[in-house]
Amino acid sequence: MKPKMNYSKAHAKYIKKLKKEKIIIKFWQVIVIVGFLGLWQILADTGAIDPFFFSSPSRIFNSIIELGQSGTLFYHIWTSLYETILGFILATIIGVLIAIALWWSERLRKVMEPYLIILNSLPKIALGPMIILWVGSGTKATIVMCVLICIVITIISMLNAFISCDSDKVLLMKSMHANKLQILFKLILPNALPDFVSVLKINVGMSWVGTIMGEYLSSKAGLGYLINYGSQMLQLDIVMASIVILCLLAGGMYGLVVPFEKKCKRN
Amino acid sequence: MEKFLQYRNLSYYYQTKESKIHALDNVNFFVEKKNFASIVGPSGCGKTTMLSLTAGLLEPTSGEILLEGKKIEKNDSRIGYMFQRDHLFEWRSIWQNIILGLELQKKHKDEKALSFADELLKKYDLYNFKNKKPRQLSGGMRQRVALIRTLVLNPSLLLLDEPFSALDFQTRLKVCDDVYEIIKSEEKTALLVTHDISEALSMSDQIIILSSRPATVKKEIKIDFEGSTPLKKREDKNFGKYFESIWRNLS
Ligand SMILES: Nc1ncnc2c1ncn2[C@@H]1O[C@H](COP(=O)(O)OP(=O)(O)O)[C@@H](O)[C@H]1O
Ligand SMILES: [Mg+2]
Repeated sequence: MKPKMNYSKAHAKYIKKLKKEKIIIKFWQVIVIVGFLGLWQILADTGAIDPFFFSSPSRIFNSIIELGQSGTLFYHIWTSLYETILGFILATIIGVLIAIALWWSERLRKVMEPYLIILNSLPKIALGPMIILWVGSGTKATIVMCVLICIVITIISMLNAFISCDSDKVLLMKSMHANKLQILFKLILPNALPDFVSVLKINVGMSWVGTIMGEYLSSKAGLGYLINYGSQMLQLDIVMASIVILCLLAGGMYGLVVPFEKKCKRN
Repeated sequence: MEKFLQYRNLSYYYQTKESKIHALDNVNFFVEKKNFASIVGPSGCGKTTMLSLTAGLLEPTSGEILLEGKKIEKNDSRIGYMFQRDHLFEWRSIWQNIILGLELQKKHKDEKALSFADELLKKYDLYNFKNKKPRQLSGGMRQRVALIRTLVLNPSLLLLDEPFSALDFQTRLKVCDDVYEIIKSEEKTALLVTHDISEALSMSDQIIILSSRPATVKKEIKIDFEGSTPLKKREDKNFGKYFESIWRNLS
């Protein structure tokens, strides 16, 4: 029933069309960014907007070079990256473990339910002052903030994925004499893999929110600090430069999750 | 007559917050070894409950179920359960799905069990799909895989809960034939739940008609049609007569 088929002509044509569409999309994506930067630069150069408040692509570029040459840029990038990645990993691991515990014990789940809902709707920034009192200011406080922001949504999403597993599948496992640990590892966890990938994607964004928020609150280093510093000194070029770098870093981190997602889908 | 599977005064109540639901009331019947028995009854009457009790997933409120004279226990390894949907795990290959039960019982390194699984795959034309993922198989093939997943554990009694109802009519007739052939050639005793009278008639040696809830045995019918497959049995001259009699008992 499955001979090795050569692509038919129609199919080849279809593939070609797809490829063409992809190129067109890429082309327009480049046009949008070039157009945006170009327009910005022209408006700034001609004085239509005040570069002091609005900066300009060339000023941002120079600012990045300057910060880079003085060596401080990498220090700030490294600090933020370290806080974000550590917060991301800690929140994901601890969050999944807590979700597993809540899945395991229905009673625990029922006890914790209202608290999870409250924690989820609480703006975590409100805890900022307490965090600083407890763990001190700086990197530690930022990481804690980052974890707090990511962990609740991780717990809720993963728990949902665990308990929404088809009850007949659980029954099937039981009819083959599976114990609870086997049900967890051979059914519940693999079944929740797609949800786990979504959580990772959400957490990439959330962990950056946590880091920048933490650095705004109290810090001596990091991109959030740099943005804060820049705005206080009225050096909008530094603020803009930091934001550009932030975009690149967040995009890059998201990019790291995508191949993982593709691999999950293929399985 | 050997009473291979026997129900004695079986009753079952579900406890819910609001009330007690009387699902089964004093059910009595037995099935002989290597026979194919079907349970028919109106929807919601307690058929799935009967199978869950038989599989040891629920405990009788009163009465008992005996298999080869011994009470059914929790996790009874003499029993295999096949569900309405195939429930193959998409992240596992066909082979990994088939040896799932062996894994759970820590027998996945047992050469004999593995070669039995291999043999079943070959015998029932699934060997070439061994390394494929479930989604690459047709509905009928998936149901065959699900049956083999159960057979690998070598149960002496097979429970089937409307295993064909998720399939379209054409596939259904074909899979019916396939499953029947597999069960007969592996010499299993089978208890099938269905609400399709023709299906029950074409596969069974014995049909148990249940009343509406609380279910009790309304009538038992022995069947002996000409023909070696369900499809051929459907052509027996008495098929229509039996159909009508069951249909009247159900309504
Ligand atoms: N877990 C349960 N808790 C309470 N009632 C149940 C439960 N499972 C089934 N029932 C009730 O028991 C009756 C029989 O159900 P079931 O055995 O699934 O019927 P059937 O398979 O014949 O359609 C139904 O009225 C159903 O609502
Ligand atoms: Mg049912």
